[in-house]
Amino acid sequence: MQKAILRDLLVLLGVFGLIWMLFSLFSYPEDPQLLSIQKEEVLGEAYVDLILLNPLFREYENSMVDSAVGVIGERLLEGLPDTEYSYHFEVFDSEMINAFTVPGGNILISTGLIGFCDTPEELAAVIAHEMGHVEERHVISRLIKELGIEILSSGDPYVIGEISSLLTSTSFDRRQEEEADSFAAELLEATSIEPRTLASFFRKLEKEMDNELLNQFAFISTHPNFYSRIRDALLYVPGDEFTTRSIDLNWEEIRAGL
Amino acid sequence: MMDYHPLPQPDQIETRIKEDAMGAYFMMFATMAMGIPLPILNLVAAIIYYYVNRDKGKFVQFHTLQSLYSQIPVTLLNSGLVAWTIVNLVKDLDFTGFYWGYLVMVAAANLVYFVFSLVGAIRARKGLFYYFLFFGKLAYYQVYRIRPEGGQSVMRNKPPGP
Repeated sequence: MQKAILRDLLVLLGVFGLIWMLFSLFSYPEDPQLLSIQKEEVLGEAYVDLILLNPLFREYENSMVDSAVGVIGERLLEGLPDTEYSYHFEVFDSEMINAFTVPGGNILISTGLIGFCDTPEELAAVIAHEMGHVEERHVISRLIKELGIEILSSGDPYVIGEISSLLTSTSFDRRQEEEADSFAAELLEATSIEPRTLASFFRKLEKEMDNELLNQFAFISTHPNFYSRIRDALLYVPGDEFTTRSIDLNWEEIRAGL
Repeated sequence: MMDYHPLPQPDQIETRIKEDAMGAYFMMFATMAMGIPLPILNLVAAIIYYYVNRDKGKFVQFHTLQSLYSQIPVTLLNSGLVAWTIVNLVKDLDFTGFYWGYLVMVAAANLVYFVFSLVGAIRARKGLFYYFLFFGKLAYYQVYRIRPEGGQSVMRNKPPGP
């Protein structure tokens, strides 16, 4: 009898476990794998072009700033040799402190944010966080979840325009922010930048929380869970062989030229 | 080889006993409606019903125990769903595929539990046994197994195996 009871229990566990697994796989409409990276890059390019046409995000042309952002980007990419994305860093002219990710490895950074960062390492920490959203495919997951794959892959210019305006205000959930923070800490360590720069940058933002210029900064969208992110960033301990190498830029001059 | 008490036949069971056995299943439906926000309430009610009715003979004991045992995993699954939902809402987490899969599994478990309990109640009212998968055998084993006198295990000699 005991054997029959055990057999029945296994049958029950098997049947219900199988139902759970099958329906878990069925209900993954936000799977970013549904859209190839190549397709994401083509769409991303169109989104960036449209976003930069918006007067609030007009392209900022300053070779010194472009080159500084390029240097920081290159430094971070040293830690990502196997990335499938070809990254583009665009600076837009806005006093708002803001940076956001557009599909296809495009990261848009405001002049306000560059002015707000006291060191190039702080800007590197923000960019590394945004690269985390790219590598984890958070933007595309969110778009697929909210709009569906059919709308997202549509080439209709009207749809692309609507998605572009959505992207400038896309926020992520807490799990995604934590994943991006954790990715950023590892990437900073891999590129010899102090990973806890992220924590000091968070603390700086915390003091400025009432600053209206921060209103659109999705980076801090998970407030009030913001403090746990500060704690997690501080708890990140780099490996024994870690040494820092500063980013060789005349940051004061760059900020003064904005 | 384990020995079991003989099973009573429908004509040997009083109507009052049949009704008490049926009540074990129907009582669950009533508490289920009440316990949706706090599924653990169902389980408390099931335990109370078992203790109140367990002196009414083995037939009632079997049905109340089967109902109670089958209630335990359903309650745990429902509690898990409520907890998972609250955590996701409070922490602003995504409702992932695993969550939706779990939701479907819990719904299936509740449906199966409901149908089996309904059939169990009807059969009990007729003085019949109805064995749920796993829980039926477990309840039968618990209630009808002949235990040694005084609760002590008795060593028995067995002939050699073939």
